[in-house]
Amino acid sequence: MQSFWFGDISEGHCTPFTGDAAACARRVREIRASRDAFLLPDWQQAVACGFCHDRAEYLSLLQKVCIAGSEQAVRDQYAAKDVELLQMVRTLDEMDTVINVLSERVADWYQIRHPSFSRKYRRTPAHVLVKSISERNRERGGGGALGKVAAEITSLAYARTALAKEVSSRACEVMPNTSALIGGLVAARLLSQSGGLKELSRLPASAIQVLGARTALFMHIRTHAPSPKHGIIFQHRRVHNAPRDARGKVARVLAGKLAIAARLDFYRGCAVPSFLDDAQARIDRVGAPEEDGQP
Amino acid sequence: MIRRGDVLVSKGEGGVYGERILEGYRVWDPYRSKLAALYLVGAGVELVPAMKVLYLGAANGTTVSHVADYVEVVYAVEFAPRPMQDLLEVARRRRNVMPIMADASSPEQYAPLVETVDLLYQDVAQPDQAAIALRNCAFIRTGGHLVLMLKTRSVDIRKQPGEVFRDTLDILISAGLTVTESTWLAPYHQDHAAIVCTR
Repeated sequence: MQSFWFGDISEGHCTPFTGDAAACARRVREIRASRDAFLLPDWQQAVACGFCHDRAEYLSLLQKVCIAGSEQAVRDQYAAKDVELLQMVRTLDEMDTVINVLSERVADWYQIRHPSFSRKYRRTPAHVLVKSISERNRERGGGGALGKVAAEITSLAYARTALAKEVSSRACEVMPNTSALIGGLVAARLLSQSGGLKELSRLPASAIQVLGARTALFMHIRTHAPSPKHGIIFQHRRVHNAPRDARGKVARVLAGKLAIAARLDFYRGCAVPSFLDDAQARIDRVGAPEEDGQP
Repeated sequence: MIRRGDVLVSKGEGGVYGERILEGYRVWDPYRSKLAALYLVGAGVELVPAMKVLYLGAANGTTVSHVADYVEVVYAVEFAPRPMQDLLEVARRRRNVMPIMADASSPEQYAPLVETVDLLYQDVAQPDQAAIALRNCAFIRTGGHLVLMLKTRSVDIRKQPGEVFRDTLDILISAGLTVTESTWLAPYHQDHAAIVCTR
């Protein structure tokens, strides 16, 4: 039997498909053509089959099926849990960049307005300065463009905080095991760097360890620079709080557990307490005295 | 191909991507479309109204819309969902564009939909571009054409573009295709070559 989108042909007899475009598109997805030699549909066959009257009708029906099928395929792709999280975390990271750049610019601008002002000895990072400018602007008014820009940056910073919370909680939903090990935000960043949960779950631990340290990694491969010990996972307190000489070790063990966690997230999709307890204990043990001397 | 002076154009509904309209025709920009560049740099394959085309790597449907202006039907295969959203919009407004979301390297996915075509046009950023083209040759009628837009940098970033070009030509010829034209698309596209074959 040979199956085409418009019907099945077996031994010279043709059964036309009856149903709407969406049903037909689903049927096309299920047809398994052989990989090597495939027979292609012919509009005259479809006419002989009684599926349509002429070529124009054949094409217009075919287009309906193609559009319905592709629309459904796009919807299916976007329905995957990690797709929106990917956009959210990338937006978050870009907002950070924008807020920082704008804050520095506004701080520079403010210093020109106030020639006697200096940030030295005052512990005023740019974002604090921006906040005070925008508050002053709200109280007294008349701050002009500078005050308005500062106010915009402040509200952008609020939006950023809200988004960060949402990213974190969504990550706990999409990748429960990975988030339990390194926190929602960092887990989401790993996801964004690797391009998706499926892609992350297929990475070896050594790649997860240096994910986000691309420049250092290629510098290491090209020249004889030392290899990077950690990428994004440095943002986790266990890595950056570890003593300098143990950081590489912690990063390696953590990455190993993360690789397993990502696979659990992708294939099981729920938290696995027995694994998490073991993994936490193993990571906590790194650098402890009893570990010294072990390979 | 329709030209107005030196400018390549096509006849159809405008406004697909903000293209210029010249004397009622849609201007086909060679800097945006590799196929347009091929028609300006070399000869290419003349598009005629009776033609059926299988287009692999349809992306946002920019070039697809121009090809659809010339031919009877375009089967447009695209893999990624983002550009597919744009391609669907083009298809809703053009009766002869068939959008298919599938992977060009597994033609069995769309074999039940696509008839025998006169022209296979391929513009995909994959390392095994020649192999993908050969796998899809079954769709071309005998005497039909393959236009392969070779992105040499996608094949292997470490190899010289010229080397990739020669290797690809060898693969196509040893598979039994007759290469009728092969050219670089400079100055319009860097490190891109066009290969025209007859089956």
